[in-house]
Amino acid sequence: MIRSVIKTTLPILFGFLPLGTAFGILFQELGYPWYFASLMGICVYAGAAQFMAVGMLGSGVGLFEIAISTFFLNSRHLFYGLALLNSFGAWGLRKLYLIFGLTDETYALMTTIKVPKEFNRERYFLLITLFSQCYWVLGCTIGALASSFLIFNTEGMEFAATALFTVLLIEQWLMVRRLLPFIIAFIASCISLILFFQHMLLVSIVLSIIAIISLRFINYKKL
Amino acid sequence: MSNISYLLLVFILMALATYVTRLAPFVIFSQHRERPLLKFVAKYTPPMVMTILVMYMLKGVQYNSAEGLYYILALLVTVSFHLLVRNALLSIFAGTLVYMIAIQI
Repeated sequence: MIRSVIKTTLPILFGFLPLGTAFGILFQELGYPWYFASLMGICVYAGAAQFMAVGMLGSGVGLFEIAISTFFLNSRHLFYGLALLNSFGAWGLRKLYLIFGLTDETYALMTTIKVPKEFNRERYFLLITLFSQCYWVLGCTIGALASSFLIFNTEGMEFAATALFTVLLIEQWLMVRRLLPFIIAFIASCISLILFFQHMLLVSIVLSIIAIISLRFINYKKL
Repeated sequence: MSNISYLLLVFILMALATYVTRLAPFVIFSQHRERPLLKFVAKYTPPMVMTILVMYMLKGVQYNSAEGLYYILALLVTVSFHLLVRNALLSIFAGTLVYMIAIQI
């Protein structure tokens, strides 16, 4: 199972390692000991929010403001759980951790892949989540530790995230085989790109969900 | 307040704020998961979110420079690889490799 999970999460490794490293390098400039970068990866574990926090810590923004900004930055996750309500098994430590470790990347993977029949789904998902977080913490640590002597030029490696989402988009298409959700989401992203560039993710998700629910009510049979 | 305890407080608050966003749907909807409307939304959010995530990644690209060209090229490589071979890992690896080579030389 471990080998299969490593294979499945390899794209996440390619995405998280350079991104985490970039975060670690940035964090190091604040002047804290390196292990605080790792600690942040362990207990916060939110890519964009961690980058934002570096900026805010640097300029001495208040605690309340940091918490609120983090909440809004991550509020797209409010909608991620919907598709996974039945996937994480019974309530318990494992489920709480699976929810803690729900990122864009693991969400994309877990809603698209088919878990090989011979493995227990919840355990498989647990390993995906755990490994992904390890990659992220590893990246944060490398960046904070070795900012001055990076051995390998990782420039461009962040494309792995785009490639992962693109591949999963194709897989979603092959599964769903209905054009409508893709068109709705495409239009919603275009609208929110024009009107709400900064908050594009959240606005697009909300718009798309509203649109598809409305369409269902208008034309109940077809959806 | 010392710098370190301030930092730790920031970590705790950020961890809580993030966890709330991830936990909320599971708490709110776990009782209603058999409702048809919820099942319907659950079925269609992944394809919509995937579309939006791809659009989000494309938003950050500088299209008036060589980066934009490399990005589109790498994207085409990824898509064609995946349509031809349908091996996710290989497609992602090929696209990323093309982009890394292009941007580094």
